[in-house]
Amino acid sequence: MTTHEVTAPALTNMLEARGVTRRQFLKFCGVVAASIGLTEAAIPDIARALEIGATSGKLAPVIWLEQSSCTGCTESLAQVGSPDVATVVLELLSLNYSETLSAGAGHSVEQAKEDTINAGGYILLIEGAVMEGWDGNALRIAEEKGTDIVAHAAQNAVAVVATGSCAVDGGFCAAKPNPAGAVGVQAFLKSRGINTPVVNLPACPVNPEWIISVVVDYLLLGKLPDLDKYGRPVLIFGQTIHDNCPRRGHFENGEFVYRFGSEEEAKGYCLYPVGCKGPQTYSNCPIVRWNDGASWCVEYGAPCAGCSCANPLKAGGNWVDVNAPFQKRHRVVKIGSWITQPSTIGAIVGGFMVVALTAHGFGMKLAGRVPSGAEFEKARAWDVKHPDKALFPKTLKKDGDE
Amino acid sequence: MAHLAHYKEAHPTVFRVTHWINLIAMIVLIFTGFYIHFPFFAGFMGIARGAHIFFGFIILINCILRIILAFMVDTAQSGGTRKVDKDYKNWLPQKQNRHQGLQWIKYYLFMKKDHPLSGKYGVPQKLAYLAVPVLLLFMGYTGLALWAPTADMAFFAWGTALVGGIMNQRIIHYFMMWVFIAFTMIHVYLANIEGFAPSKIMFFGTEHGGLTYDPDDGVVTGIDEMGHEKK
Ligand code: HEM
Ligand code: SF4
Ligand code: SF4
Repeated sequence: MTTHEVTAPALTNMLEARGVTRRQFLKFCGVVAASIGLTEAAIPDIARALEIGATSGKLAPVIWLEQSSCTGCTESLAQVGSPDVATVVLELLSLNYSETLSAGAGHSVEQAKEDTINAGGYILLIEGAVMEGWDGNALRIAEEKGTDIVAHAAQNAVAVVATGSCAVDGGFCAAKPNPAGAVGVQAFLKSRGINTPVVNLPACPVNPEWIISVVVDYLLLGKLPDLDKYGRPVLIFGQTIHDNCPRRGHFENGEFVYRFGSEEEAKGYCLYPVGCKGPQTYSNCPIVRWNDGASWCVEYGAPCAGCSCANPLKAGGNWVDVNAPFQKRHRVVKIGSWITQPSTIGAIVGGFMVVALTAHGFGMKLAGRVPSGAEFEKARAWDVKHPDKALFPKTLKKDGDE
Repeated sequence: MAHLAHYKEAHPTVFRVTHWINLIAMIVLIFTGFYIHFPFFAGFMGIARGAHIFFGFIILINCILRIILAFMVDTAQSGGTRKVDKDYKNWLPQKQNRHQGLQWIKYYLFMKKDHPLSGKYGVPQKLAYLAVPVLLLFMGYTGLALWAPTADMAFFAWGTALVGGIMNQRIIHYFMMWVFIAFTMIHVYLANIEGFAPSKIMFFGTEHGGLTYDPDDGVVTGIDEMGHEKK
């Protein structure tokens, strides 16, 4: 089967009406294939799956719930500029409800959402952190607590996709001191005893290609992708930024940017000394790239901030608490109200040792122990005190004779 | 004079070799560690990382080897004697160290005038040398948790998850370096402050005269000048 056969006129027409050419669509299918670990040979299958979904309505419906978020993930999906294929595809195929993107508003969409939930069999995308503060009243939508909305929608879903870092582990919303009690979706559902499987797609914002690839993966194979111990798809989050970074050669050669605005920066050297978290951040950003494949953080000159690091079930594991400040090698260390860098603590320890040992050295000199030490004690203090139980009685005899 | 004689039996050749290896590996590891933490000059990262992981394995293997050898090689039971015992017995706390901990602290705080008696090593040194292998193995653990080929192995990934991610793992590894630096400073200081004879025997096997000591009786018995000391 060749590619042009599979893009049925129905879908092609629908896409073209939104300004997406067939060429763009197939390129997009290629990106999706790469994200789920398939070769280009799978492009026709992906295109066909999408196309069947579009024309038959058999595609799993998608509900997009927004909780505590900056709407950046929706923005990421609805990128302006070139028509973004991912948005169009998602919107055309399945998006039954989205606070921001749905054309309808008010009771009619709320009803549509309710119908979808009752029918079941949908994928639930959640953007933003769940706010548990003030008994769930920290965030209310349409007269309802955010916590209740999430729990209700997750109950019947086939899968929940936590979209973006906030939904994964609270993200920046959960950064200290976290007054509103932001938590990730997975931790929240666990606390409510809801067992719907969760796929975590961290990053701030999420990369839209990842969402589509999870949805398509589910459509093609009828199952969720393989997940790592943080619930992230292995194929997307299995390698570090550093592993695939185009500046990696500079890293190995020791060619670094030490200051922004410097000659080294102009040369595109490695950003490690200015705090690049690429070596410890797992994500395929350098491969899938961002903004419809235009570029990505390190490529346009910003050190990776480690926004896709995630720790869904551990409070304080969000990427901001873990990685800030973004332009320092290590995160800050807080001791009480003292906020400092590990290197400062190291220097203090080292400096203290030098001062203490030097002072002690002078003391040893004054005590006449340099260079020959002091005279040995005749007997051990304990033996002297406990002569009946003495470990070395012979030392005592001598002592007693004196 | 108040030194115990320094006899070869204290540090047999094989342990002088493992000590040399420790010294060299430690210098390389600390230097490259600082460089990996922040590359303070250009052009060295590839070599620094290669050398770091290489000497990381060297020091780990050396450490394990040293522990095994402690069960096979005899060393002197204390300074000032040629009486030997299996090294591990002299490495672990000995009868001669019992109840002496406070005395050593008082001695180093200038609250006690006389030099405390001991077995092989005084109590503070003994504790430090017992901690070193534990710290080294822990250093290796955090190091291998950072090293890409091993980081994903369940044994290491478990620890990384426990401490809350690779960033914390790196910071722990980094702080541990300062623990080693602090240890090394104290170690070098204490070994040499009362004369360089301990270093000479440790590095070159050069014996040095001094008081003789009977470890069984726990008592200073006399003097063996070996031509070094004039009264
Ligand atoms: C006691 C000796 C050691 C010292 C002083 C030391 C010191 C350091 C330091 C300061 C760093 C940089 C951390 C940072 O600031 O990001 C580092 C990184 C590292 N160390 Fe060590 N380390 C030692 C032993 C080891 C051992 C035994 C291993 C493993 C066999 C090891 C493996 C590593 C690895 C893999 C890295 C990360 C390098 C990279 O990201 O390229 N280290 N070490
Ligand atoms: S810029 Fe960052 S990710 Fe790229 S090579 Fe340097 S440290 Fe690694
Ligand atoms: S390169 Fe780093 S900061 Fe940029 S999106 Fe990827 S994980 Fe986030």
